[in-house]
Amino acid sequence: MAKRILIIEDDKFLRRVMTQKLSKEGFEISEALDGENGLKKAEEENPDLVLLDLILPGIDGFEVLAKMKQNPKIAKTPVIILSNLGQKEDIDKGLKMGAADYLIKAHFTPGEIIDRIEKVIGR
Amino acid sequence: MFWRRKSKKIEEFYGELLGEDISIIEHLADGLLVFDRINKLIIINPQAEEFLVIRKEKVLGISFLSLSRFPNFKPLISVLGPEIKEVSREEAQIKKDFILEVTAIPIIAEGEKFGTIVVLHDVSREKLVEKMKNEFVALAAHRLRTPTSAVKWSLGMLLKGDFGRLSAEQREVIRKTYVTNERMIRLIEDLLNLATLEEGKYLSKIALFDIEKIIQSIISENQERIKRKNLKVEIKKSNNVLPQIMLDERKIEIAIENILDNAIRYTLPGGEINIFIKASKKEIEIQIKDNGVGIPDDQQEKVFSKFFRGANAIKMETEGTGLGLFIAKNIIEAHGGDIWFNSKEGKGTTFYFTLPTKKGYGEFLTKEFY
Repeated sequence: MAKRILIIEDDKFLRRVMTQKLSKEGFEISEALDGENGLKKAEEENPDLVLLDLILPGIDGFEVLAKMKQNPKIAKTPVIILSNLGQKEDIDKGLKMGAADYLIKAHFTPGEIIDRIEKVIGR
Repeated sequence: MFWRRKSKKIEEFYGELLGEDISIIEHLADGLLVFDRINKLIIINPQAEEFLVIRKEKVLGISFLSLSRFPNFKPLISVLGPEIKEVSREEAQIKKDFILEVTAIPIIAEGEKFGTIVVLHDVSREKLVEKMKNEFVALAAHRLRTPTSAVKWSLGMLLKGDFGRLSAEQREVIRKTYVTNERMIRLIEDLLNLATLEEGKYLSKIALFDIEKIIQSIISENQERIKRKNLKVEIKKSNNVLPQIMLDERKIEIAIENILDNAIRYTLPGGEINIFIKASKKEIEIQIKDNGVGIPDDQQEKVFSKFFRGANAIKMETEGTGLGLFIAKNIIEAHGGDIWFNSKEGKGTTFYFTLPTKKGYGEFLTKEFY
């Protein structure tokens, strides 16, 4: 069965590029435009992995991650942070909070992002 | 000026200051304080009273150190030290959004110091404008990250053949665009670093760190590039145990990374980079020595200026923003250290910098001060 990935990303174009690439690679995709919706979908749909942006309208990505980790239903769902924030403090914080990986948008191509996703959940 | 009239007796100077010249002092736009030879305050003009929110009657005749009981004097004492040392245009933050530039000049006549003049110049407005400029640059740079990522992702997918096979010609054009976009990403990152660095007083989280560990972690982060160019990178140190230093870890990492990045970039494959760490009582000196392409003689004086790039460097690597060493210098100097280099074109370059080890260094770096 195809693995399901939830993309939480507020930028329309980035979201579309990622969705396109991941669908092509055989993943099943669900999308959320902000933190609140993302959290709701994570709980309802229980995806295999969440691709999480940090700067989001309303509750930000760190908060989404913290709330996921507090919710026993989805606490184990792996989260990969995919963000513009490249400061070491942000990376340390994200990993410390339990993210499976931290990717800086400008440092990875979609192909490389998929490699990282597959490292976490396989194909 | 009054203190140059050599033939007068010291007492007469003061008499004169307090008499006929006083109206000039009183109407200065800058704050002015005069201390006598035992550092007792003998003159304070109305502007200084206003800056420091103090009444003349309360402070005249009081020694410099005792003035620390007035909260607005504390930042001044941090800048001037207990002895009222000579300083030129050092900044002292009196309160939020109120910053004074402090200059202290000893009054010397006939070889004898008999007091100190302290001038306070309000630079709050300039600082505010500078802060706004930095915030603007940081915001603009940050906003540019999403679109450049979007371009990278799209081009990356095109190159991977996600939208069908490309002809060799199409591929080449897209590859070049991809590389150009990578340059833009790097430029934006440097601008962002620069803006964050110029903001505030550069240093934020000061704590004790082991400099060797920091250098080692930077080397291991660059291991892949070092391997690819087949460079030999070695650390040597003068003492087995190096003292820990008070520093802002993240900022020092950026500084060393920038210096080492140049060494890696501008050393030809198979070259060597040697790092020496020397500790003395006063400071730690670090040398980063490469046998790379060097910096042309006629360009050496510009090395630390903003946006400078060596002519030979530009030919070798189109990438590079000319901000790295400017940033490194700012960081090292904010720590009370020095940075310099020597270089010979075709032979190599050695960068040196020092960081003070003295323990008391952190005491003025209180949160409110920075």
